[in-house]
Amino acid sequence: MRKFLRRFVSDYKEYILLIFLSVISLTILAQNEKPAAKHLKTFALGNFAVINEIINSIVSILKSDESRDDLRNENAHLMLELNRLRKYKAENEELRSMIALKDTSKYPLIPVKIISKLVTKSQGNFIVNRGSNNEIRKGMPVINNKGLVGLIMDVTENYSVVQNLYNSNLSIAVTLQRINVNGILNYDGKNLIIKDVPTTYDVQIGDIIETSDFSSIFPPSIPIGIVSKKESNVLGLLHNLKVEPFVNIFAANNLFILKIIPSKQINQLEMNLIK
Amino acid sequence: MIIQYLKPILLFIPLAVIQLVIVPLISISNIAPNLIFILIAYFTLKQGQVYGTILGFILGFLLDIISGGLTGAFMFSFTLSAFVVGYFYGENKIDINISSYFLLFILFVCGSINSFLYAVISNSYSNVSLFFMMLEEGILPGLYTALFGLPIVIFHPKEGM
Repeated sequence: MRKFLRRFVSDYKEYILLIFLSVISLTILAQNEKPAAKHLKTFALGNFAVINEIINSIVSILKSDESRDDLRNENAHLMLELNRLRKYKAENEELRSMIALKDTSKYPLIPVKIISKLVTKSQGNFIVNRGSNNEIRKGMPVINNKGLVGLIMDVTENYSVVQNLYNSNLSIAVTLQRINVNGILNYDGKNLIIKDVPTTYDVQIGDIIETSDFSSIFPPSIPIGIVSKKESNVLGLLHNLKVEPFVNIFAANNLFILKIIPSKQINQLEMNLIK
Repeated sequence: MIIQYLKPILLFIPLAVIQLVIVPLISISNIAPNLIFILIAYFTLKQGQVYGTILGFILGFLLDIISGGLTGAFMFSFTLSAFVVGYFYGENKIDINISSYFLLFILFVCGSINSFLYAVISNSYSNVSLFFMMLEEGILPGLYTALFGLPIVIFHPKEGM
């Protein structure tokens, strides 16, 4: 029996090893959210990101920064718009004070720079150069000048992992601005889609998608994108809406983190949904 | 034994930096070459299937924890694809495999398997057709990865060929 076993192991050692290592990999995959796995990941990420940041600073000198050019362009437009808005501001403040409306549009912003990206079709992740030392916490929304980029998923002392819109694990409560219809935005590995919107709603191509009032993670009304395509399901009762984001995720370099700490209980519920 | 694994691990560090910092700049609509897989395939073709499978497992784990991705996904895909690369290994074929254009074929086939496996594991919300996944998340990254194997074919010393 022992001889047989020895021969068996010797003949099939490659397969036994493969099965053994595959089982370990899948077990680790299942343990992703366990504190021990998170701790190890945080430790490795925090240390390795230092090297990435150094290399990134060298690389960024050599490459033309698309987002910088965009920002310059945006700056010129904003300057023109500023004068117009100043006039509106005075009027707005007067009206606001009249109806005692609380100004909810002021969130502190933390500027960050992307130092590395994990480029795959289904796992859109960035590592950015600020962490818990800059009061960044898990669950904070990430934006740029165009709109929503993603969500902080992991934080080390000096670095954070951003799960961007092109991550199949991220689900966002959204609203179609014009008709005020709610839905859940997901990345299906190919497109950003909002599934199962009843065809009775008057959804039109070009409708603006923004974060929903129902989300406790994201503040309401952050622009996300526009409806670029409608697809009816087999029965024709529901729509799947394809969304084109405002932000060019692949070209993004400089981002802002909205310093919002949501209600812990609701946040936990929503983070569970994201998982 | 440990020293045997030390060389690829030391090479892994600069390659991982390039993979995470520079490769995104040359990605084409989220399709990017996988330099770490080239490293694994190279050493598997030199050292054999068992060595490659273990190396894939170790480097996959390291890449998982430093990239901020899903821990275990690269581990699984590298382990399996290195195992497949191991089928091309032969003590008398090391030079033929590494110094000829056959390396590009190996990198293409096994790189496609690697990318496809990674996509299947990490894409938890997939309504995408299998054909699309095989093409966009398997074959295209596999082709791009194979292209990056070209310098090995050109610059690797051709002994006894």
